[in-house]
Amino acid sequence: MSKLRNVAIVGFAQAPIVADDPHRTAPEMLYPVVKQALKNANVERKDIDYQCAGSSDYIDGRAFSFSQVMEVMGAWPPVQDSHVEMDAIWAAHLVWVKMQAEECDTAIIAGFGKVSEGSPMHVLNLQLDPFYHASLGLDHVSTSALQASAYMAKAGVDDAGLAEVAARNRAAGAKNPDTQLRQAVSAAELQKTPFVTSPLREGYLPPIGETATCLVLAAEGKAEKMCDKPVWIHGVDHRIELQTIGARDLTSSASTKLAAKNAFAMAGVKGVNDAQVVELGSTTPVEELILRDALGLSSGLGGKADGPVVNPSGSPLCANPLMNTGLLRLAEGFRQLSGRAGERAVSGAKRAVVHASAGHCLQQNIVWVLGTERRWA
Amino acid sequence: MEPPKERVKFIQTDLVLPYHYYAGDYKALYLRALKDKKILGSKCSATGKVFVPPLMSSPDAHAPCEEIVELPDKGIVTTFCVVNVPVYGRDIELPYVVASVALDGADVSIYGLVQECKAEDVEMGTRVQAVWKPDGERQGDHTDIKYFKPTGEPKAPLESFIHRL
Repeated sequence: MSKLRNVAIVGFAQAPIVADDPHRTAPEMLYPVVKQALKNANVERKDIDYQCAGSSDYIDGRAFSFSQVMEVMGAWPPVQDSHVEMDAIWAAHLVWVKMQAEECDTAIIAGFGKVSEGSPMHVLNLQLDPFYHASLGLDHVSTSALQASAYMAKAGVDDAGLAEVAARNRAAGAKNPDTQLRQAVSAAELQKTPFVTSPLREGYLPPIGETATCLVLAAEGKAEKMCDKPVWIHGVDHRIELQTIGARDLTSSASTKLAAKNAFAMAGVKGVNDAQVVELGSTTPVEELILRDALGLSSGLGGKADGPVVNPSGSPLCANPLMNTGLLRLAEGFRQLSGRAGERAVSGAKRAVVHASAGHCLQQNIVWVLGTERRWA
Repeated sequence: MEPPKERVKFIQTDLVLPYHYYAGDYKALYLRALKDKKILGSKCSATGKVFVPPLMSSPDAHAPCEEIVELPDKGIVTTFCVVNVPVYGRDIELPYVVASVALDGADVSIYGLVQECKAEDVEMGTRVQAVWKPDGERQGDHTDIKYFKPTGEPKAPLESFIHRL
């Protein structure tokens, strides 16, 4: 791997994740978050070279929705701006590429999505092919349920296994003051929750939530002044699979596997076990099991806890604010490696692997390797 | 392969996407005040600029605008246009004037119709005042101001509002 530019996460802030904030518009949720993220990184807005947001017009119900947050991101005098119609973690990737091209040294990345103003179920249905899939009324829960059935049959995992995974995440979420569901619930109790779409029970699915997030990235030379413990990006890659879910093996994640292989190579690590923390963008217990397999982690079923700590944040099962869910995974990596994880801190964590996903049934996947030390000398 | 002789099968999808937009506390305050024939703005804590409708933060200074101020319903026409073609959904006699109105004391304009005068009598700098819907009919939305009408006061010189264009 050739030498790349050292880039670090130097600040993060988020709004509380709630089901519905009737007092603030999306820009109004984001404004204090941007101000706080800049404060956390010890800079003024004028010190930032570049900005990029991740959001969705369909979630917000507005065309070119990103333009409404220009004002609160501090886009005056006219700034360099970009946007991705994706989870904001992909905006972070775009900024990282910009920094590799030396087009900027400092940047803010914002995520927003006013989920409560629309109907995510309808929107996510429209993500599918209009002829064969969307017209059936499939939404993200039903496609996840199709995936879950397939995986359970193939891997021999039963309902109790799903409950175990969900309960472990709920227990972790109880220690995360920034997530939405903060009560530990036992596997037995989760198994009593009703099926939403069989085999997925209410207790195996995330709550509806919304928030706003802002991450600050900076290149070597500036990052050190902005954060006491910058968290360096060692490797990153993302891969996408076919839209047609019938053309994919739903029981495995080829794109996660390949993205991880490339990210690990960039980071110069052998594999996931070189990390102490792994944060996965899994929105169902089955997604977590598929991702564990793709990354080379054990399933963790049966109470086994070998290898790195997985999902110390409680995972998207405890909060899934669309367009922010992925960036929150990157934020967890930052918090864990920079001494900002409070009660849930993984002791001695020096390296983290972060994953996020987009699309139905883990269609697109991004994998990051983060470290407390610079990657390239 | 022969191209099809009949029209290729297509599907019509009538997308039903329900949304309810929140005004947010700042704009809700503004809308509610219209019911009482009051126009509210907010003042930037860094530059003192007054925004109407009120904003939580100033776009140029990136500073909070927490102070709410009441503005008069009088101001000047900064820029305007004369509409000569019917617009879908509007039942207004042609031609009519749509104007950017800088209320006295505000640093940004609001938009409205200018009526009770001939279109050719409207100029940049014409002083205007809001004509409100009668009591009991105002709903707390932007149509509570029916239109603006000229006050007959002397026209404002361009230098006095050139920074507000």
